[in-house]
Amino acid sequence: MTVIEVEDLSVFAGATRLLGPVSFRIARGGVLVVMGETGAGKSLIAQAILGTLPGALSFRGRIAINGQRVDTLPAADRARLWGRDLASLPQEPWRALDPLMAAARQVSETHRHVGGLPVAEAAAATARDFARLGLDPGERRLPGALSGGMAQRVAFAAATAGGAPILLADEPTKGLDHDRQARVIGLLAEVARAGGTLMAITHDAQVAEALGGTLVVLRNGRVVEQGATAQVLQAPQDPYTKALLAADPSAWPVLPAAEPGDLMLRAQGLAVSRGGPRLFAGIDLAIHAGARLAITGPSGVGKSTLLDALLGLIPPDEGRVERAGLLGRHAIQKLYQDPPAAFPPFGRLETSFRDVARRHAAAWETVLGYLEDLTLSPTLLQRRPDAVSGGELQRLSLARALIVGPRVLLADEPTSRLDPITQKTTLDLLHKVSLETGIAVVLVTHSAAIAERWADEVLHLTPGHEKAEKAIG
Amino acid sequence: MTRLTPFLAACATRGLQAVLVAVIVGIVSFAMMQALPGDAAYRIAAGRYGYDMMDAAAAEAVRIELGLDRPWALQLLDWLGALAQFDLGRSLVYGTSVIDEIATQLGYSLLLALGAVVASLLIAIPVGIAAGLNPGGWVDRVSLGLSIFLRAIPAFALGVVLVLVFAVQLRLLPVAGFRGVAHLILPSLTLGLGLAAVSNRVVRDAVAEAMAAEWRLFARTKGLSARVTVLRHVLRNASLPVVTYVGVQMAYLIEGVVIVETVFAWPGIGHALVHAIFARDIAMVQGTALTLGLIYVALNLLIDLACRGIDPRGSSA
Amino acid sequence: MTNAGQGAGPLFGLGAARLTGLSLLALLGICAVIGPDLVGQDPAKQALLNARQPSSAAHLLGTDHLGRDMAARLLSGAQLSLSLAALSVLTAGIPGTLAGIAAAWFGGWTDRLIGSLADAILALPGLLLVLMLAAISPGSWWALYAGISLTLWVEYFRYTRQRARIVLSSPAVEASRLLGLSPGHIIRRHILPEIGPGLLTVAAFGAATAVTAVAALGFVSVGVRPPTAEWGVMMTELLPYWREAPFLILQPVICLVITVLALHLSVGGLHRR
Repeated sequence: MTVIEVEDLSVFAGATRLLGPVSFRIARGGVLVVMGETGAGKSLIAQAILGTLPGALSFRGRIAINGQRVDTLPAADRARLWGRDLASLPQEPWRALDPLMAAARQVSETHRHVGGLPVAEAAAATARDFARLGLDPGERRLPGALSGGMAQRVAFAAATAGGAPILLADEPTKGLDHDRQARVIGLLAEVARAGGTLMAITHDAQVAEALGGTLVVLRNGRVVEQGATAQVLQAPQDPYTKALLAADPSAWPVLPAAEPGDLMLRAQGLAVSRGGPRLFAGIDLAIHAGARLAITGPSGVGKSTLLDALLGLIPPDEGRVERAGLLGRHAIQKLYQDPPAAFPPFGRLETSFRDVARRHAAAWETVLGYLEDLTLSPTLLQRRPDAVSGGELQRLSLARALIVGPRVLLADEPTSRLDPITQKTTLDLLHKVSLETGIAVVLVTHSAAIAERWADEVLHLTPGHEKAEKAIG
Repeated sequence: MTRLTPFLAACATRGLQAVLVAVIVGIVSFAMMQALPGDAAYRIAAGRYGYDMMDAAAAEAVRIELGLDRPWALQLLDWLGALAQFDLGRSLVYGTSVIDEIATQLGYSLLLALGAVVASLLIAIPVGIAAGLNPGGWVDRVSLGLSIFLRAIPAFALGVVLVLVFAVQLRLLPVAGFRGVAHLILPSLTLGLGLAAVSNRVVRDAVAEAMAAEWRLFARTKGLSARVTVLRHVLRNASLPVVTYVGVQMAYLIEGVVIVETVFAWPGIGHALVHAIFARDIAMVQGTALTLGLIYVALNLLIDLACRGIDPRGSSA
Repeated sequence: MTNAGQGAGPLFGLGAARLTGLSLLALLGICAVIGPDLVGQDPAKQALLNARQPSSAAHLLGTDHLGRDMAARLLSGAQLSLSLAALSVLTAGIPGTLAGIAAAWFGGWTDRLIGSLADAILALPGLLLVLMLAAISPGSWWALYAGISLTLWVEYFRYTRQRARIVLSSPAVEASRLLGLSPGHIIRRHILPEIGPGLLTVAAFGAATAVTAVAALGFVSVGVRPPTAEWGVMMTELLPYWREAPFLILQPVICLVITVLALHLSVGGLHRR
């Protein structure tokens, strides 16, 4: 029996088509995965099914749930499906939970006000949910005190407490590290196995593969490929799908190790605590010209702090950082996680580039040469940082750093906000620059797959570890 | 114990502020004393006994009584020392104890402040919620226009306008002094409108922000009705910035009390302060300013504690 | 902060509200500068036989209880209020802004020292402090001005310090420092563009506070003294004649409200203080 039926769904902002046309059906016990890059319009599908599209958008097409057409219903009637027939798992669990109400109460209030249980039974049901999800049944904390993975499980419990058999999950693994990702995927897979219906939205091919079912690949709001998930992932037909899958770090080729050059930077017995408990201790690092070192580890372990210590921005508790004698004052440069944040937000990019070129007496032709090497159009400099795409802006900040003539480049998650394809091109360029100029690159990344394939040496930081493990990739 | 520590921290911060208030008021009052034109002892004696009854002996007695013949640094130390012992002295004009004077005035000022806050909340909360639940709607736009206009009218000008309209033209309400609840209405409304002019927008922004929050939508999609969502989640979250803002407004409230009491001849501390400045009665200036400053500190402390009550994040961490 | 211009649609690049405010301000400024010559009357000249006259050709806005020309007195009051507001914006704004940047830049003891100074001034409600400082030397324009400037600089300081701290800890500034750019560059390209628009708002509301404070103190007979033509003083003087001549008392009230409204609107409406 068909549970969700979507026919020729299109979403418009004024006359501009943002999404569609999209058509699919999901049967009871079925799974549908929508995959695509940021801005591809994936979330619009879930919003259209739920009935929570922003007021400025309009849509065409037909949506039926359990055989009943819902897109023509008044808003109040659609809201009646929420929690009882349709559950929705939010993208960012921290932002979806009321910051001032204890996490457990946010689940028990669903049992009470949606499930109709008396107060005591609602509390008991919540304790059972928490135990089943591996949370403390006596949990009393506020959402802000929970980890991302715990918050995601609380949100899952709250969303499904009303007993809805259909679950819409929008980027359920966003921001989670590998172990927590696997846990959430397990939860979602359980929904379908228990006879429910799942629609998941993701940018991650591995998530799609784990969930199975049917796959819809979106690009700029249009469906480029649709079919059984396993089949599409195995043998993609559309060139875009192929590029998207090839851009997944697990599909990257392993880069050849670089010939190590002169020693540029050395850290010995480094220990740092940033105003709180000790983050790490006993870090020994030797960074040679042309080397590519990756630093990985779970969030909050102190990866960025290690970069700041290497830069000399924060003093270490113990140990020291030594720069090679030939290293000038500005020979260490940095790339930032959020590309727009690295430029003054006011005025054109050219101002920033001219200032740096003047300071370091670099000819403007040289600057334009760097832009060309990084496949950037000089006309981009006429824009403000917020008018340039993230991928281009990250390459621009690389070009700006090159003006200074750096020997070491510290890159703090430079591609974590970029789409998979852009991420691949950016890191490929970074590799090319390192090869051609002999600049050493230290890459901080949360992705073990990227670290293993891109770097020739990996430093894995683990929480509270006295001695970080080091592996040759 | 974990709940007590932030409580004590708030008390300590505000306690420090109270000491600061006393020192500043003391120093400025002392400077005022030093700046008195002519022989202060003569002026004070004249004020106290009348020009006919005053002579050099009376002035000398005043000079010795108030210690006006010593170096100013010693006098300042004495002055602050007396303040530290809560000795506010006697009115230079009436010779009565300043503390007694203030004790009778304090109740009136607190009544007016309470009336003003109640009036402002009665206006700001319903208007702000109505505007915030539907941002951009007609309630929102009309209340924005009115707020900007009301905000531009200083409290005393608003008082004058209200007097002209309600008491004089319509003959509805009494204007000056205090002889019953009816006398409370115009002064409270004057101050309350001024407070509400901004705070209704704060309520509106807080409600609008809560309504646009992702957790608000999630509360709905997990199945809660619109009414339950507003009651259980939106109002509590929205109340936090509002209560914080009421704290910011306490400065406006105290300033308003001083001015509005004068407009309406309200027998409170503010009126007494202005009167004392005019009459150069420095002991009274010091006593009343100090009391107003301490009320300000106490109100801020109350707001601090209210914020902690609403927001458990601070104490559970 | 709420933007009054929202929904009003841009007009010549500015919101309609801001345009109205700026036009009103310009008009007030022009009136205050050249108005007294146009009216051609002495604001202090009494004519007791000609008291409380309605508008006429000789006296455009009538005469007050002592037969003085209302238009001349209102314009003289405008000069006083606007010059004091402008001066206090400059003398509170420049040191306040510099102190804010210094506190954010150097941190540590500099920050703590200036911060405690600001806390001391904020310990009392602003008007109460101005009232007491003005009372040290009653009726003096300078005491009034010093008191207002002393309380107003704190707003600039707190705003600038808070914004500058955020900017200085941003990756953009860290990047500029790593790229070898100078402190002057960081102030010019990062801090000033960031705090500029907010400073305008603080300045406009500070000026409005100054105008209000002058009038409030005049009204309660603590600030500028009669016979000086000042709006608050005029209100006190004319209040007893509300029944015979309500149009007289309303004139300074309207002037005051228009000035404050113009200042508020010039930066787009409401501000939370």
